Amino acid sequence: MYEAVCAHPDGDSTVARLAATAASAGYDGIVVRNWGATSADPDAVGADTDADVVRGTTVSVTDRAGASERIRRRRENAVVVAARASSPSLNRFVAESERVDVLAAPMADGGDVNHVIVKAARTHGVRLEFDFAGVLRASGGDRVQALRGLRKLRELVEHYDAPFVVSGRPASHLHVRSPRELVAVGAEIGFTDAQVRAGLREWTHLAARNRRRLSAEFIAPGVKRGRYEEDP
Amino acid sequence: MKHLPKHVRPRWRYLAVGIEAWPDAGIERSDFQRALWFAAGNLLGDPGSADAGVRVVAYSFRDGRGEALVRARRGTVSRARAAVACVSAVREHPVRVCVRGVSGTMRAARERYLDGLDTPERRSDVAFDGDARDGVCRGENVDVVAGDDGWVGARRRDCGTDGE
Repeated sequence: MYEAVCAHPDGDSTVARLAATAASAGYDGIVVRNWGATSADPDAVGADTDADVVRGTTVSVTDRAGASERIRRRRENAVVVAARASSPSLNRFVAESERVDVLAAPMADGGDVNHVIVKAARTHGVRLEFDFAGVLRASGGDRVQALRGLRKLRELVEHYDAPFVVSGRPASHLHVRSPRELVAVGAEIGFTDAQVRAGLREWTHLAARNRRRLSAEFIAPGVKRGRYEEDP
Repeated sequence: MKHLPKHVRPRWRYLAVGIEAWPDAGIERSDFQRALWFAAGNLLGDPGSADAGVRVVAYSFRDGRGEALVRARRGTVSRARAAVACVSAVREHPVRVCVRGVSGTMRAARERYLDGLDTPERRSDVAFDGDARDGVCRGENVDVVAGDDGWVGARRRDCGTDGE
């Protein structure tokens, strides 16, 4: 199971500190999904801290015009690409972008989803994110809105069997919660244990799949190098 | 009041929790207890919170690190774990509270999961972001003062030559 984190300078802790904290909390690794670049070398940090560090990125989608190009450029340097949109129509744009792995926090900041967006995400293999940050760290009306958003998204995802990921979206090592704690919180807000665990494992699958695709041996989906017949 | 007979007394489980905060945070036991009650009340509601009956029964905190034993009614450990996970700040100090383990007696919880508080090393020459800063080192972990923005959590490998 992996956790998707925002590291320094976007967050308050460095990649190494987040990786060490995540490893002690029971994660196999972290996906660093900063808005910009981090100076940390994922391989070196991973070797130091017993946690796999995956290079990821988050693209802010505020208009359709340049978004595809921005996503394409970020895709070249990142293993996992998440995109965060600022309106329901842009959520749909992201859900229809096959270059994006994760539609991050689709219900936050005025965002919303409907059956069209969820079906588009399923068709194009874009994971919808269940963002637990609002449940873990907000209070009052903000928390109620976050809970309402999670419930709506969960009902749609269950109905259309869409792919999803789960994250506590930590921006500091103090925000990291163990998988068991996320499962316990999820159980209180209507998720099953299996859903939360599957959502945390989905980051692992995404990282492994994209690394395989980025490796030199990869030819095309479904195509493998086989044994050739030898000349008689 | 006379004690209840043993077979009708409530059964408790003890959650050993570790508390982590920035080094300048001062968190009293009463503050932590209040934050825990708020978290339980907000997440579980009044009936759920009363059922779980979470209470801090042992507590120590120094220099941004702490340990506590939290009592919860048997059968509500998962709900208590969820409430503990939702404690994200105490008196506006951000905190990380993690459950290290659960035992049936305070003694077992203490012996198995609580290992005392260490004393950090305070330095004024931590190299971070091309600058020499104040910092607090604990093993490989270094909390670095980041000007008016507060603190940055780092490791020794982030701080130039091993924090020297």
